[in-house]
Amino acid sequence: MFFSPRSVVGLSKDRLARRMVAEHIAPMALLLVVAMLMAGSVRAQQASVLDSDKQTIELLVRRIDQLEARIAQLESGKSPASGATATAAASPPAEPARAAQEPPTEPSEPQRADLSKTLLNIRGFGDITFHRDTAKGEHFDPGIGTLTGNTTSFSLGQLDMFVTSDISDRFKFLSEIVFEAGLDNSFGVDVERYLLQYSPSDYFNVSVGRYHTAIGYYNTAYHHSTWLQTTTGRPFLFAFEDSGGILPIHNVGVSATGLIPSGGLGLHYVAEVGNGRSSSSPNVEAVQNRVDENSGKSFNLALYVRPSAVRGLQAGFSVYHDHLTPIGLPNISENIFAVHAIFIRPSFEWLNETLLVRHALNGTSRVFETPGFYTQLSKRFGSYRPYFRYQYVNASDVEPVFPQVGLMHGPSFGLRYDPSESVTLKLQYDYTDLRHQTPINGVATQLGFTF
Amino acid sequence: MWRLANILLFVIVALAPSGLDSYVGVVGSPATEPALAIIVNHANPVENFSYEDLRKIFLGERSHWPNGRRITLVMLDPSQPERKVVLRDIYGMSEKDLNNHFIQGVFSGEVFVSPKTLANSADVLKFVFNVPGAIGYVLASDVDSSVKVLRVDGRLPDDKDYRFRLGARPGN
Repeated sequence: MFFSPRSVVGLSKDRLARRMVAEHIAPMALLLVVAMLMAGSVRAQQASVLDSDKQTIELLVRRIDQLEARIAQLESGKSPASGATATAAASPPAEPARAAQEPPTEPSEPQRADLSKTLLNIRGFGDITFHRDTAKGEHFDPGIGTLTGNTTSFSLGQLDMFVTSDISDRFKFLSEIVFEAGLDNSFGVDVERYLLQYSPSDYFNVSVGRYHTAIGYYNTAYHHSTWLQTTTGRPFLFAFEDSGGILPIHNVGVSATGLIPSGGLGLHYVAEVGNGRSSSSPNVEAVQNRVDENSGKSFNLALYVRPSAVRGLQAGFSVYHDHLTPIGLPNISENIFAVHAIFIRPSFEWLNETLLVRHALNGTSRVFETPGFYTQLSKRFGSYRPYFRYQYVNASDVEPVFPQVGLMHGPSFGLRYDPSESVTLKLQYDYTDLRHQTPINGVATQLGFTF
Repeated sequence: MWRLANILLFVIVALAPSGLDSYVGVVGSPATEPALAIIVNHANPVENFSYEDLRKIFLGERSHWPNGRRITLVMLDPSQPERKVVLRDIYGMSEKDLNNHFIQGVFSGEVFVSPKTLANSADVLKFVFNVPGAIGYVLASDVDSSVKVLRVDGRLPDDKDYRFRLGARPGN
């Protein structure tokens, strides 16, 4: 088939045009349409996504608004007095049906689980005393209940950090960390109490660690704070070991306490097993915190009643036994018998305790008995509380465990004034008669406080 | 020695407790005064308490309910009149004495936990509702179904001889 050039050209142009349309423009147009359609679809999709994002953002903003409103509501509803307990009141009582589906929890449980928060409760006690007496040389000063020199002095008392922690519903940690200046004026630190307590019921509580021995009443009632005490110092019978005291005030071991079912009688028991006191030398630490110098253990059993018919009355006794092994002496069987009757009401106090420390040298007939007692009376008149105490202790001059004590007895008169709930000011006069020595007259003024 | 004993006896007689200290509680208060309800959680099986047992709980001398659950005592803020009734009729103490009692109790280890203090009755109701071992007090008129009211010596706040009422005085 032959074409003329024109025809060929004309034909070619038409065909070419058709072919171009058919082969290139149409597909391109189709492509363009498709592209436009696709572009429209994409735009539609983009618009849809944008709409979705907008909704999400709106939802989030709305949620933030809700949360901020909730926080504001919680903050406004949390009163200062409610403190940590406010978090406990999560479910309002107005919605009992809803709350019933959520098991109620103890308020402090979430806090206990939160390791970023401390469980410690800390209370501090301290005192500063200005005192003077007529004694010569280093001696026990009844005005401050500890050893002192023979000059008029301001004395920093024990700085007592009382730390407790409610570890769980039934476990509690308790400690007393005391910073105290010695006769050389340097400060030392003593961990006076260090106890883990397990309290499953009112009838059985057990503590493990270092505790105050339940001999008599005073030792477990007042511990290391003078602020709680009526007088400026402890009775000599209950002076601390490092102050020349005659009792094993501290012990390391196990202590069990609890109620004995007895109706209105209010019978309680205390049973203790511990290392007892050291006796190998007067220069060693009296409390056997880590190593017992013998394998024998000390035992203490105390019973006391708090009858509901006579509010404020407590009466009881305790029996303590230990086996001492002093160097250069026969072993000593130690028994301490104590009886107490105290009557305390908010405005009246009458404490009476008597005890006998009995040291029997094994293999011999030698027995040393040291009797002692004190009585203390006080009555509050508003912020003032005048008080009186008479104390007595009579140890042999050749007593094998505390030969420095001897005879010591006499009255104390004082006035306690509480200018605020946490601060107290005391003024006390003491007269102490001693064997083979001139009696001591002493005056002490003490500022005690808790913080 | 006899002279000393006589002096001591004189001092004891002179310092003997006054009538305020020997006050025991309120009996036969007029029923017209608003009553204070002692409330516990509904899960608590206790329904009735003697006055002495209730007092021991408020003093912190009891740490567990008969079902073994730990007691959590909740008190109202010192500004609330209900607290004054509790101090007068249950503790027989002032605010300062109460404070000292719990400081010394915790210090001696005899009191396991001090009371929690809340601002108002609504907070007490919420707290007791949420804490199974809780015990607290509110005006009887504020009590709702979320908590349980304890009988004290067999009596409820509506009863004539109920002990705890605002404004009632000893011996009324």
